[in-house]
Amino acid sequence: MSLLERIAFYFETVFHLASEPTNLLILFGSVILGIMFGAMPGLTSTLGVALLTSMTYGMGPATAMICLLAIYVGGTYGGSYASILINIPGTAASAATALDGYPLACKGEGGRAIGLTTTASAIGTVISMLFLVSISPVISYFALQFTSFEFFLLAFFGIIISGTLTSPDLVIKGWIAGFLGLFIACVGRDLLQFYPRFTFGFSEMDSGIEVVPVLIGAFGIPQIIQVLKNRLIIGEAQKFQKILPEFGTIIRNVPHIIRSALIGVGIGSVPGIGEDIAAWVSYGAAKNISKHPERFGKGEYTAVISTETANNACVGGAMIPLLNLGIPGSPPAAMLLGALMLHGVTPGPMITFEHPNFIIEVAAILLLASITMWVVGMLLAKQVVKVLQIPPALFMPIIGFLCIIGSYSLGLSVFNLYLMLPVGIISYFLTEMGYPIAPLVIGVILGPMADENLRRALMVSQGSFLPVFTRPVSLILFLIILWTIVSQFQFYKNFKDKLVAKVFRRKSRKPDLEPEKPVED
Amino acid sequence: MDRGECIMLEKEKLRKADFFSGLIILFFGVWIVRQAFKMPMKDSWGGVQNVWFVSPALFPLLVGFVIIILGGLLSRTAWKTVGREEIVKVIRWLLSKSNLEFLISAPTLRYYAIVTLFLSLVYLNVPRIDFFLASFLFLFVFITLFYFDDDRLLKKLFFFYLAGVGVLIFYFAAGIDSLLHKSIPYADDGLALLFILSYCFYARVGVQNNPILRKKYRTAIIITLATLIIVLPIFKYFLLVPMPTEGLVVNFLDKLWYLDF
Repeated sequence: MSLLERIAFYFETVFHLASEPTNLLILFGSVILGIMFGAMPGLTSTLGVALLTSMTYGMGPATAMICLLAIYVGGTYGGSYASILINIPGTAASAATALDGYPLACKGEGGRAIGLTTTASAIGTVISMLFLVSISPVISYFALQFTSFEFFLLAFFGIIISGTLTSPDLVIKGWIAGFLGLFIACVGRDLLQFYPRFTFGFSEMDSGIEVVPVLIGAFGIPQIIQVLKNRLIIGEAQKFQKILPEFGTIIRNVPHIIRSALIGVGIGSVPGIGEDIAAWVSYGAAKNISKHPERFGKGEYTAVISTETANNACVGGAMIPLLNLGIPGSPPAAMLLGALMLHGVTPGPMITFEHPNFIIEVAAILLLASITMWVVGMLLAKQVVKVLQIPPALFMPIIGFLCIIGSYSLGLSVFNLYLMLPVGIISYFLTEMGYPIAPLVIGVILGPMADENLRRALMVSQGSFLPVFTRPVSLILFLIILWTIVSQFQFYKNFKDKLVAKVFRRKSRKPDLEPEKPVED
Repeated sequence: MDRGECIMLEKEKLRKADFFSGLIILFFGVWIVRQAFKMPMKDSWGGVQNVWFVSPALFPLLVGFVIIILGGLLSRTAWKTVGREEIVKVIRWLLSKSNLEFLISAPTLRYYAIVTLFLSLVYLNVPRIDFFLASFLFLFVFITLFYFDDDRLLKKLFFFYLAGVGVLIFYFAAGIDSLLHKSIPYADDGLALLFILSYCFYARVGVQNNPILRKKYRTAIIITLATLIIVLPIFKYFLLVPMPTEGLVVNFLDKLWYLDF
């Protein structure tokens, strides 16, 4: 398909999807639901996608994707409401927004801030969608050249990088979480010889652990326990008037929007790293570049625009490795992967052959979701804000109930619940002790890929690890993994410091020595 | 859980906890490796002669060994950070009576309440009691425990709920359910209904003198019923998901839905 044909097909898909009233209804409903999930402190877009997955069971893949992507986009954006108006981030992705959003709301500029973040979020999503469409064929082409060694290392890299960057405490904890996820993935009959591993004689575990219930447990239960145990109290929301942003303000902030969108896409496309990191990196970049960094934290529009553009650009960014390599770029993308598998779509390099139009469909849905999000944000912001007044003690039990019925309905098995609950309780303890949950989830998802490809690769090489060093992509991945691990240890940091000190000492000596040179000559 | 949402213990307490969690993880890794060594390595499985690199044990072994190393590293880091004396102090605290204060503190009680509600729903009620009744009990108890926002009341209601769960466990464990099934239809659901009604009555008496709590009580009933009336038909009749246990109420709903009178 030529470029023009692709563009034509893209717009055809957009109009086709938008022309069906059912799709529009699902789109608007899901975006509103997503915004509510994002806005209510304690709920996240990941949980929203997880709970809605069970509702999409009877839908076709395209309709299900409309539903899930819309809730993902809406949820990522919705967090900004609580951040700006009550200074409690609705989601971790919008924590950076609270730093400047709330001071703006206190000055009576909350409406303007929401208007700007809505527009920035929509633009961020659209830019990330453009990257998804343009980069996917290239990545897909390269991914087709990958052999089992590359896929094994890629899965390993996903777990290591996710563990490294999402750990709120020691990096080792992120890695431990990732490997615990890999262990969970080992449960069931192995894919090559069908030998039962860690099944304890339960026939329900033969086919392995159902991913979606595990994800619902890992994200839902700890959230419910934390919010209710620590008695999250929601303050009075700040009042706001005008929402529609001035065109001039948007134009003035175009460089910030583009920079933040690029950061969002870049971070989103790194496996397992969520929107929160994109928002913080973008905030830091905006502050470093700004001529008035002292204004940050006191109510700076550039700050809220940067964070919200980046976290929404992460959505499209996370789709790039998900669709082309089968590796989720963020925790909600991990949920999407589970949902896609339920609908018989296996993301990976073969997706362009098995479902040639799927990536374009996803891009079209992202465009429609971002437009819908902007419309809903502009028209219904004042109504949506009312959900902030619902006490967590009322909605958290309902979320708990939805976790139960959602996990059960995926597979119609009570056994799913028997697994979901222990995973949830263990995840709660892990969270309390500073272990991140994202690498665990990535481990569960990438485990079968790593296991199968490691053994397949060794079968081809007859037990030799030499191809890791002879194949360029394998070698690069191996070196990156090695560097990521080694760079976290103190001996490496000491060595680096010594090296830097040595180099700088030499440089600082040079000017003193130079005048002597002619004398020597 | 994401970085911003993570509510961590204080740094020093965290390191002390890390020592123990690292050890638990290390032992868990040892267990994985032990289990993996029981898998076919070089022997025949299903008529196929194994080689080490095709063995189903290969990946669990890799995972197990890495978990052992990481668990050990975590414990070592924690040990180096807080020192031997602090670790010994923690062990003494764990064995002392002051540990009890933590175990019966208000946040811990809230934790017990949430976990008990989930455990009783999943392992006790869902497989045995009509899903509508089990869900009503779960939602109504959950909402009232936390929405009243009163630790004293939470304690009373939670212990009442625990007593009810105890009765249900005895009822099922003693095999009374199978005896009653022969003579009384929906005997289990009847008992659950009795439990729900008595809990509702007990909670109502508890909030009798407080008009704000009385209003909250009404809200809790409305929210519980509204959630069930909206969510259950969506799953049962639109997504065609059969409920885990269909008894008194679900069968009645079926009759209503299909007008089967």
